[in-house]
Amino acid sequence: MDFDFSDDQEQLRDAVRKWVDKGYDFDRRRAIVAAGGFDRAVYGEMAELGLTGLYVSEEHGGMGMGPTEAMVAMEELGRGIVLEPLTQTLITSATLQTHAPAALQAAWLPRIAAGEAIVVLAQQERGARYQLGRCAAQATESNGAWSVSGTKSVVSVGDQADAFVVPATVNGQIALFLVERSASGVSTQAYITQDGSRAAEVVLKQAPAQLITLNGLSALEEAVDIGIACTCAEAVGVMDKTMAITVDYMNTRKQFGVAIASFQALRHRVADMKMQLELGRSMSYYASLKLHAPADERRRALARAKYQLGVSMRFIGQQAVQLHGGIAVTDEYIVSHYFKKLTQLDMSFGDTLHQLGEVSARMQETAGVFA
Amino acid sequence: MDLAFTPEELAFRDEVRTWVKANLPTELSHKVHNAMRLTRDDMQTWAKILGKKGWLGYGWPKQFGGPGWTAVQKHLFEEECALAGAPRVVPFGPVMVAPVIMAFGNAEQQKRFLPGIASGEVWWSQGYSEPGSGSDLASLKTRAERVGDKYIVNGQKTWTTLGQYGEWIFCLVRTSTEGKPQTGISFLLIDMKSPGITVRPIKLLDGECEVNEVWFDNVEVPAENLIGEENKGWNYAKHLLAHERTNIADVNRAKRELERLKRIAKTEGVYDDLRFRDEIAKLEVDIVALEMLVLRVLSAEKSGKNSLDIAGLLKIKGSEIQQRYTELMMQAAGPFALPFIFEAMEAGWQGNFPGGTLANAPLAANYFNMRKTTIYGGSNEVQRNIVAQTVLG
Repeated sequence: MDFDFSDDQEQLRDAVRKWVDKGYDFDRRRAIVAAGGFDRAVYGEMAELGLTGLYVSEEHGGMGMGPTEAMVAMEELGRGIVLEPLTQTLITSATLQTHAPAALQAAWLPRIAAGEAIVVLAQQERGARYQLGRCAAQATESNGAWSVSGTKSVVSVGDQADAFVVPATVNGQIALFLVERSASGVSTQAYITQDGSRAAEVVLKQAPAQLITLNGLSALEEAVDIGIACTCAEAVGVMDKTMAITVDYMNTRKQFGVAIASFQALRHRVADMKMQLELGRSMSYYASLKLHAPADERRRALARAKYQLGVSMRFIGQQAVQLHGGIAVTDEYIVSHYFKKLTQLDMSFGDTLHQLGEVSARMQETAGVFA
Repeated sequence: MDLAFTPEELAFRDEVRTWVKANLPTELSHKVHNAMRLTRDDMQTWAKILGKKGWLGYGWPKQFGGPGWTAVQKHLFEEECALAGAPRVVPFGPVMVAPVIMAFGNAEQQKRFLPGIASGEVWWSQGYSEPGSGSDLASLKTRAERVGDKYIVNGQKTWTTLGQYGEWIFCLVRTSTEGKPQTGISFLLIDMKSPGITVRPIKLLDGECEVNEVWFDNVEVPAENLIGEENKGWNYAKHLLAHERTNIADVNRAKRELERLKRIAKTEGVYDDLRFRDEIAKLEVDIVALEMLVLRVLSAEKSGKNSLDIAGLLKIKGSEIQQRYTELMMQAAGPFALPFIFEAMEAGWQGNFPGGTLANAPLAANYFNMRKTTIYGGSNEVQRNIVAQTVLG
């Protein structure tokens, strides 16, 4: 039982933090949002830091790191509310590495690690909400070649990605496929999401696909759990920075002749925010440290973690706005962007209510960190 | 980063588990698992069993006869005792006054008082709160006047938990009214058999007399019972509070009570009612998150890196959770939690409980009793002040 970070992990944190502080300031972010919510050059800088190859084995040109390193990197990206979706890269690289045939791995993993190819998960459908077992997209095989038809919603950087990891049913069972965006039958309709990042509706009509695994549902659950762990860590970074900005403001802003940080009604809100931050941070550690647990245990743990982070994000975001007052509901001031990021992260990979349902359905007689 | 305990820690846990299983009387664990009333003898029985093994002072260093365990070992010991259904160690002697005697008492005092605490022979009580001094403890007024080689103590303490059983009481008393209120307080050990002491039990909302008023009327206390220096008592008391860290969260008991809540919910037919079940699920996440928080504090203590100054958060969350599980247990029983039959909370009661099952008899009383947790030990509002201070300055 040890929650200290190693020297290497601290170095990784420092490197990412430096890049965020110097290379990703609010003005640059604002310009990226205005230009469509995604900047391939930024993604390239993240690749130079080694982040895109974080989960990719050294054999395929990556760093071969684990969930704790991913957590460290995501926390720091969260601190800067970075738009470019490293979570997607971590999900798809891990999924390919664990489940794809060797040839598919060799074709994609080195390019993902180098930042040359962006592969994202395209799993959401209108009729499924957060339920992974519901999938209307279908795959068919003809002469050894697969094709997929269906519509996937709110796909991160859907019109910019080079390929998608797509769940589709084969004889009623979910399988996972890789579909290239440039393939015939693929069309996208892109837009900006509430946090300023980019997404798209992806329509597949008899699109040529490569099979990753026929055992798709368990692979998809694993993929989404990686997404949950990343989101929890990112949320911790966003919340940490949100609190720091709020505390700074409260010690500067004067009303009735004194700093508003002197008012007990407000101080108690800050104490409650600190509670939610530390509970959230604890459960983010828990999420990452349970990622390699057996599937049942992992699912239960990740649902608990995402539920806690959902509660924490909603609370800290709303309180940060309230404690700032009017300035926080302007587009100009930075806190409104942190608030929107927190809101969107709660609604990604299963929101609070969905996760509560998961926890509730998976309860056992005993409960605890080790149960 | 690693969630798992080390092989040595796991071996230690197994050793404790085996010992507790072999030595905890089943009539005691039966009472604890079903929240039935514990007598003074019940609590003393377990204290003496632990004392004989040298584990009543389980937080003590070796030089004072304790096991010298690490923070993690102490946590594992508390967890094994809680899950097995052992009565809580009454903290006033081994957990609260003993560390103060060790740190600030003289050799004579250590020799005189520590053995009786370690064995469980002597029952200690705490004399802090007064009718006019709750959250503002430093305003306390019970006076101790030095006359020759004695102190003459006059005043009143209150909320003295289980003081009706107390043989000795450690008190904060006023020895000076000069300067700040904190600088005129002394730490005095008082024999409760001394003439002039009156103990009056206070009946509480659950029907129990868990706390007492303690009156001091010209009570003579030998000056040798003063701990450390006169007027430095506030510092010693603060040391005591700092000594209380993770066990204030009581997360291990919460894990046991969550299991009990699920059993009650199943018996009462609400476990599969999603509206109710989701409330249990929320509590389950709360408990896991609190346990992670506790483990983080233990890890920080172990490595000495990244010290986590979050005792206030542990107190707030731990107490809220204690209130919540008792509330949900009562709600699970619904109308069958309402019959108030005092004797039905005694083990072995043979009457016919109108609430269907005897397990329902103590649920409302437990809920009422737990309202204290957000008030005592520094109210949760005081804790929020402390947390806010660390964040905002």
